[in-house]
Amino acid sequence: MSTLERLKKLFIDKFDFNVEELKPETTLEDLGIDSLDKIEFMFDIENEFQIKIPDEEFKVTTIQEMVDALDRFILEQRIGSLSPAMISNN
Amino acid sequence: MKRRVAITGLGIISSCGNNINHFSANIMAGKSGVRRISSEYSGLLLVKIAGEVDFDPLAYFPKRQALNLDRVNQFALAAASQAWKDAGLTLDDKEKERAGVYIGSGMGGAHTIESEYDQLFRHNADRIKPLSVLMVMNNASASHISIEYGLSGPCLTASTACASSANAIGEAFRQIRDGYVDVMLAGGTEAFLTYGGFRSWESLRVLAVEDPDDPSRSCKPFSKNRSGLVLGEGAAVIVLEEMEKAVRRGAGIYAELLGYGSTSDADHITRPSFKGQARAISEALKEAEIPPQEVDYINAHGTATQWNDLLETQAIKKVFGDFAYKVPVSSTKSMHGHTMGAAGAIELVVSLLAIKHQAIPPTINLDQPDPECDLDYVPNVGRKGVKVNTVMSNSFAFGGTNAVLVARKLEV
Repeated sequence: MSTLERLKKLFIDKFDFNVEELKPETTLEDLGIDSLDKIEFMFDIENEFQIKIPDEEFKVTTIQEMVDALDRFILEQRIGSLSPAMISNN
Repeated sequence: MKRRVAITGLGIISSCGNNINHFSANIMAGKSGVRRISSEYSGLLLVKIAGEVDFDPLAYFPKRQALNLDRVNQFALAAASQAWKDAGLTLDDKEKERAGVYIGSGMGGAHTIESEYDQLFRHNADRIKPLSVLMVMNNASASHISIEYGLSGPCLTASTACASSANAIGEAFRQIRDGYVDVMLAGGTEAFLTYGGFRSWESLRVLAVEDPDDPSRSCKPFSKNRSGLVLGEGAAVIVLEEMEKAVRRGAGIYAELLGYGSTSDADHITRPSFKGQARAISEALKEAEIPPQEVDYINAHGTATQWNDLLETQAIKKVFGDFAYKVPVSSTKSMHGHTMGAAGAIELVVSLLAIKHQAIPPTINLDQPDPECDLDYVPNVGRKGVKVNTVMSNSFAFGGTNAVLVARKLEV
């Protein structure tokens, strides 16, 4: 499943949105998600994707921006978990 | 001049019913809400009974809201919503500034603190639910109600254990009476039926043993064979309004809230003092300007512990003298259990329903009279078709806090 699909599923499970409401360009504001909802939702995202979202680096307004940020964290944090020797061999 | 205070809306969440009609029918018929608890940890408990509320949060809240509310907040909002609808109030922005919320809660968001600490301590989680602080804090229920109805006057939380909501209602009454506000939503909420909650009470050795024949009959206030309290949970919220405005808008008025007594034993953290209780009763009557002989019904604190029932009986006798034997006194905790921070509000609602229905709810499970508890406790069977104009509700807390409320049917 793509990051977008997984994120949509989380949105639906957590907030009872319909899938039609969740387009890449949809903003969190459109969905009525405030800063507090976002903090709570980040917790579920961290669990789902097995990543840590750094406090200051999740300034996103649309679903697509969320997906991009998550892909970046996933990549960085997976590489971070590899040993330097493995990275240099690539 | 002191202003008068009308009670114009009631809401309830209880093991005896999640709306006023259902609750009233059960309480007046002597039907118990106490039963074996459903939780997975019940096998670990010595005492496995409680007045547990049958409550589906998704019947009241959208999923996203429900997830961010502790059970205790859900109860409070659900009860407030009933009371608000019942009162049929509409307030403009200016009027909302003169409307407030006082809620009592002994233990706040106990379910959240338990589940999140469990993650930390038992499962070594490296982080817990982000909204934990907002779900655990004691004042969350009052604030959620204030937000829901836009009531922007005073918003306070009373936390005086088993007297919390009686204090909240009494203090709210004075806010209106003394002219600070015109409308208050007041009451109490408690949801402490957690594993840690049960074990804490168990350790204190004040819980009733389960009745071997019928778990629902385990709480036996004023009975010789009483063995302690049965834990309960729930909420009650009432709408208080300045009398003239309530009358002018044609509101349905359950009763006039007339008096509030608030005292501290200043003696012992658990052992009650009948003197402190008697002073609270006397002060409530004094404020109400009502002689004891005019009281038609007393809803007792009546926890079914040895000490409470004995000392409360003595306190009533001290104030009421010979008339103590004539006034019906019942403990409805025998049915809904001890709902702690919600108890004062739930039991005031019971007392108001006694006025509404001109009926008196019984103390159930009272089969073995105790010679030292010798008042008319309305044993086992409620009474219908009786005159109930003036009612009193007693709340006596751990910590030695006593709160007594007096209300009277409005003369028309």
